[in-house]
Amino acid sequence: MSPTFRVQGPEAGRLSLFGPLTAQAPGRIWKALLARRDLRGTLTLDLGGLSALDLNGAAQLLWLRETLGGRGLAVSFEGLAEAYAPIWRLAENSLGPPTPPPPQPDAISRLGRLATEFLADVAALIAFLGELLPRLAGLALRPWRGRWTLTLRLAQTAAVDALPVTALVAFLVGLILAFQSAMFMKLFGVDIFVADLVGLSVVRELGTLLTAIVLTGRSGSAFSAELATMKTNQEIDAFLTMGLSPTRDLALPRVLALTAATPLLTVLADFAGLLGGDVVMIALGHPAAAFWTELSQHLDASDVSTGLFKAIVFGFTVAAVGCQRGLAAGSGPEAVGQAATRGVVSNIVILAALDSLFAVVFYVLDW
Amino acid sequence: MSWTGDPPDGAWPLEVEDLTVAYPGGPALLERVALRAAPGEILGLLGPSGCGKSTLLRHLVGLERPRRGRIALFGRDLWADEGAQMDLLRRRFGMMYQGGALFGDLTLLENVVFPLREFTDLPLKAAEAAARLKLSLVGLAGFEHSQPASLSGGMRKRAAIARALALEPKLLFLDEPSAGLDPVTSAGLDQLIVTLARNLSLAFVMVTHELGSIMTAVDRAVLFDRELRGVAAEGSPAFLASELAGPQAAAFFRRAKLDRGAQSRLKAENGHF
Repeated sequence: MSPTFRVQGPEAGRLSLFGPLTAQAPGRIWKALLARRDLRGTLTLDLGGLSALDLNGAAQLLWLRETLGGRGLAVSFEGLAEAYAPIWRLAENSLGPPTPPPPQPDAISRLGRLATEFLADVAALIAFLGELLPRLAGLALRPWRGRWTLTLRLAQTAAVDALPVTALVAFLVGLILAFQSAMFMKLFGVDIFVADLVGLSVVRELGTLLTAIVLTGRSGSAFSAELATMKTNQEIDAFLTMGLSPTRDLALPRVLALTAATPLLTVLADFAGLLGGDVVMIALGHPAAAFWTELSQHLDASDVSTGLFKAIVFGFTVAAVGCQRGLAAGSGPEAVGQAATRGVVSNIVILAALDSLFAVVFYVLDW
Repeated sequence: MSWTGDPPDGAWPLEVEDLTVAYPGGPALLERVALRAAPGEILGLLGPSGCGKSTLLRHLVGLERPRRGRIALFGRDLWADEGAQMDLLRRRFGMMYQGGALFGDLTLLENVVFPLREFTDLPLKAAEAAARLKLSLVGLAGFEHSQPASLSGGMRKRAAIARALALEPKLLFLDEPSAGLDPVTSAGLDQLIVTLARNLSLAFVMVTHELGSIMTAVDRAVLFDRELRGVAAEGSPAFLASELAGPQAAAFFRRAKLDRGAQSRLKAENGHF
């Protein structure tokens, strides 16, 4: 067992140090020394008993001298063996005063910066939309110029691969919704209307919204991360210097893929949600067909079409926001994570805002 | 009794015997490798790209388990005990990765303080003083609160050396310290390595291609060869660069000289590089 570092004192203004003084020195010795508020005048540290001293040890002595010096206690060293003189000199010459940390902005400047960043964000999104829509129009005029293979592949990843998770989430939400409302409505003997409640909620609102949120998490974040990685790898710069448009060649296929995939997924999510509701109705003792018969009397084509219309808008939004956040990423590895997070957060906020807007517009239009 | 203290007297910081270097599941890249680094010595590992130098380094620091052979650090077999003893051994050497591998969400000071906070019970301010000392040694005084992303490549490598020095190891592994640096910055880094080796009797084991680094910093070099799957030549850089060291060494140094010649001609023609 190697000897451990220890001290003796302080007595009569002297503290004797023994053993190896390295980073492994017990910190409690220094904490105990700093807790001694009764020390006055000068403190001499006798280093004659040290059996080893490295830069970490020297740094501790220098730190002690500075800290105690700040309290008006002058610290001096004596008896350091000649063998440790080079280390001591190296440490003493190298260690300057600490650099003050950079000033932190106060609350008002932080608020101002946040507000400016938010406005710049919104402006960037609008500008991106302004770039994307003409590209979309251009593609409509010359469809043979589109990157259809990539678009199809992306649509497959976004839609087909998302089928199980979307269906599961929608099924469970339909089930929970039906179960919670049935408990209450059964008291009044109107539990057959659970079918209408679940049907309208799922087809008009939840099916679409759930699909959009699942796609935000699965595809929107992936788009942000992919494009941000391309940005950090300077691939986006390569596109630009070759005179190509990242919006047309990278963002447009993703936007088209998701805009096409979302309504299809929504139809499936609607069906899964309704199935969840039917399972509860069957459990409550109704025949399986009762749910669908009741539904067919109150659910009409406009309910389904509003849901699908929203799905198209949501799909477009999720992909466009995801791509914009990726293309606007900073540099460095952390930029990829930041871009993905920003994409998902922006998307969820925008989806909620859009859905509220649609609710008002559909009400006014009586759609 | 568990080992906590110093190595037995006279133990080499690094001693490798009969080592086979291979990718996991792949063919052997190098066979029968024997290496030894003395305290204060700068050992260069040279060789053409793809000959297995970097994989050898991964073996030496314990990231890959060797298929055959023995790696001893400070007289202790690296793979004798994979538990706490290996962790203890790992704290006794430092490693600088090619890109620096600094933790991006920490400032330079926090990067260097990190190992001290994890493995010692020094008061935070004392650990910070030790970390500032290391940063100052590598010429980064005043950059304590900078983020790694805001630094140049050379500064990041210096900061990575400071972090590797945090626990004051007596052995430092460097993976291509000069890669991607301009000649002036690269020369500065070589100077720093020599200063640290001489002043702190630190043993350095560095993988490098750079002829400038080999000639100015390296004390002893080992040249690996892909065809031979092993050591082609070993000795002082001056010996390796001479005609005596064999065809592989001659080819390696001729090519490296050509690179340098081309660089200086370009510089002369354009006035800058």
